[in-house]
Amino acid sequence: MQPDAAVMNRPAADGVPVLDVAGVSKAFPGVLALDDVSMTVRAGSVHALMGENGAGKSTLIKILAGAYAKDSGTIAIEGRPVDIRSPRDALDLGIKVVFQEISLIPEFSVAENIALEDLPVGPLGSVNWRRVRRDAAALFDRVGFRVDPAARTGDLPISQQQMVEIARAISQQARIVVMDEPTSSLTPTEIKLLFQVIRRLTGMGMAVIYVSHKLEEVFEIADTVTVLRDGALISTLPIGDHDQGSLIEHMVGRTIDELYPRKRAHDVGEPVLSVTGLTNAKLRDISLTARAGEVLGFFGLMGAGRTELAKAIVGYDRVHAGSVRVAGQELRPHNPARAVECGVGLLTEDRKEEGLVLGMSVMHNMSLPSIGRLSRAGFIDDREERRETEAYVGRLRIRTPDIERPIRNLSGGNQQKVLLSRWLMHGLKVIILDEPTRGIDIGAKTEIFALVDELAAQGLAVLMMSSEMPELLGLSDRIMVMANGRITAEMSRETANQEAILNAAIG
Amino acid sequence: MSDARTTVSGAPASADERPRRGLVDRVLANRQIVLLALLIILCIGISIGSSSFYSVDNIVSILRQSAMVLIVATGMTLLLITGEVDLSVGASMAFTGAVAMAAMNNTDSLLLGILAGLAFGGAVGLFNGFVVTVLRVNSLIATIASLMILQGGVFVFTREAVQNHHQLPAFPGIGAGFVLGLPIPVVIAAVTFVVAWITLAKTTFGRRLFAVGGNPNAARLSGLRANRLKISAFLITGLLVGVTGLVLASLMNAGQPTAGRGFELIVVASVILGGTSLFGGEGTLIGTLLGVLILKVIDNGIIILGLNQDLQIVVPGVIIIVAVYLDQLRKKHHAT
Repeated sequence: MQPDAAVMNRPAADGVPVLDVAGVSKAFPGVLALDDVSMTVRAGSVHALMGENGAGKSTLIKILAGAYAKDSGTIAIEGRPVDIRSPRDALDLGIKVVFQEISLIPEFSVAENIALEDLPVGPLGSVNWRRVRRDAAALFDRVGFRVDPAARTGDLPISQQQMVEIARAISQQARIVVMDEPTSSLTPTEIKLLFQVIRRLTGMGMAVIYVSHKLEEVFEIADTVTVLRDGALISTLPIGDHDQGSLIEHMVGRTIDELYPRKRAHDVGEPVLSVTGLTNAKLRDISLTARAGEVLGFFGLMGAGRTELAKAIVGYDRVHAGSVRVAGQELRPHNPARAVECGVGLLTEDRKEEGLVLGMSVMHNMSLPSIGRLSRAGFIDDREERRETEAYVGRLRIRTPDIERPIRNLSGGNQQKVLLSRWLMHGLKVIILDEPTRGIDIGAKTEIFALVDELAAQGLAVLMMSSEMPELLGLSDRIMVMANGRITAEMSRETANQEAILNAAIG
Repeated sequence: MSDARTTVSGAPASADERPRRGLVDRVLANRQIVLLALLIILCIGISIGSSSFYSVDNIVSILRQSAMVLIVATGMTLLLITGEVDLSVGASMAFTGAVAMAAMNNTDSLLLGILAGLAFGGAVGLFNGFVVTVLRVNSLIATIASLMILQGGVFVFTREAVQNHHQLPAFPGIGAGFVLGLPIPVVIAAVTFVVAWITLAKTTFGRRLFAVGGNPNAARLSGLRANRLKISAFLITGLLVGVTGLVLASLMNAGQPTAGRGFELIVVASVILGGTSLFGGEGTLIGTLLGVLILKVIDNGIIILGLNQDLQIVVPGVIIIVAVYLDQLRKKHHAT
């Protein structure tokens, strides 16, 4: 990425200030979420808002969206002080927030969703549906989207739903569009499209507040970067004044030498996992071998079958044909318990739905697969459970006041470390990591990268599914590329590069 | 710029959000204490209205009534913790009594009669578990269907109450007898309760029940056998229904096919009132115990205060709505 070139491609960000945040603070019981934060956003520019989880980004945008009330400070729009008391107020003032969770109604058509807030009503109170569809189509033409206005919204991929949300913002005459981690579920192609749209929005004079912790994206799209940490403003600088190192330093408060540490040797051991002809509704005849001590990376666009492969290997999803062997033992289809017994564990991409038991404590979440071992005659050995949990909390630097704290109170990065510890405590031969760094801040990311390296060094076979190419290239010994449920390419660490991977991923 | 901040960047900003609350808030947040207070207030109120509330006969009658509900409610708590429910317990209880009595009449053996009752209750539990886990029918629907099958089936089995033909004298003793001064059903309930409490608090089985109910996907990926655990919870509930069916038949000295109508509602109501979540992963037996006692004391109060007895169904209905509503308020208040 060449930040300089990216900046030069756009008009300088010297538009008039549209949004002035001055000295805004917000406290929650026990924590000061925002501490005297100020920020000026200019028309026609992309203003990135960065910081680790818990830095205060979401609190700030929720205040702008009218979801939270600020405790003190002022907010002005085009120089006029405003009072945002509800989401309605925010919309009326021209602030539109596109949250990670899509707020569209899945059963409605795209056009209906766009017109929802203000339907064109005829003289008899009936809605002019033809006009709704026509307006939506015209709007899409104007911003260059290729979305069918008549499609049922819930049938569209997340990326297109996001486009619909953005289009709705435009139709609502928004002057400031806030995007909260907009690329977290997008493919590279979709990200490109999103960036085109963002440039078009700023070209129309809108201001975009872009909340993200992905460095590459911010360097590509932003004009100005504001960094928050622990609720406080750290810096606001033109993107040209930053390099990756300085931006990370501002975010985490310390320098990070290496994003992808590699301490382990390059010698790889015996094959431990062999998959032969695995086939189901989403997978076509997948065969592969993973060796002890290697990190095997998997890249693929959305729907390529990475997650499905991970789930088929451990027996979570059904398979029609094929077999999986681990260290000579054959796994049984549709029997994850057997996989766990044989030493194969999956760290899921969907922490909330498939990973965490939210109602349970840190300790109970961590020991879940291991309680059989931690018990005698069916009775849990509390002391041993506590001892082992505390050992991993220390070793992985999991930030929690105590291990009986409900897991829901931890940050995403710390939750992920608990889920990783779940498998470390159990002891595995093969660990499958599906998007292990999704929704996690940089500090925790580097720790997880170091851990991946360490796991391989200890002789585990590590399978890592990821949509973050830099992270795959940085950590893997080999990379498999998937498209349409097949493996379309296999590359060694030495021969792999972004272009070749993308070509293979397109299929 | 970042000197002072660097040192705090390690602090768990998001992890340390547990709000500090005053004593009143904390007491109100503890559901058990609220329920206990409610129970005490009810007892005081009723005893003011009727002096016979504290008579030995009345207390024994409340305990015996509570015991029957508690035995099944204990199983139901385990089942709700796994995220499932069994609405067939009332119908199954009546059928169990009829089957046990018929077996006793045919074999002239108390033991075989008891075994037949337990086997029947357990089999119904297994059947429900099978339908819910293997056939993947939602448990609310599946067990309403079982309720219909059992309620109709018992009349296919017998048109009228199965009488104790051989007049085995030991049989009525189960429901009416005393051990150490306590009614036998109360002793059975106490033992059931303590065993279940230990199971939930101390054993791998109990822990796994919570995990399966809390997040079945995560539990499966962690190597737990979700179906087996749920079937076990259904089986345990079924066996306890068998026990209660025997106690009930013993009290009536007959297998009454019309017994147990609405029993499942009282059981589920007590468990929900006690704070166990309908959605699984959450629940306490102490809460269930308090829930049972509250409903049964209200029941008793309605009778000894001479109120309209139809209120016995109306009041628990109202209480459930209020309890669940207050629970929502509490959860909203806690969410930060």
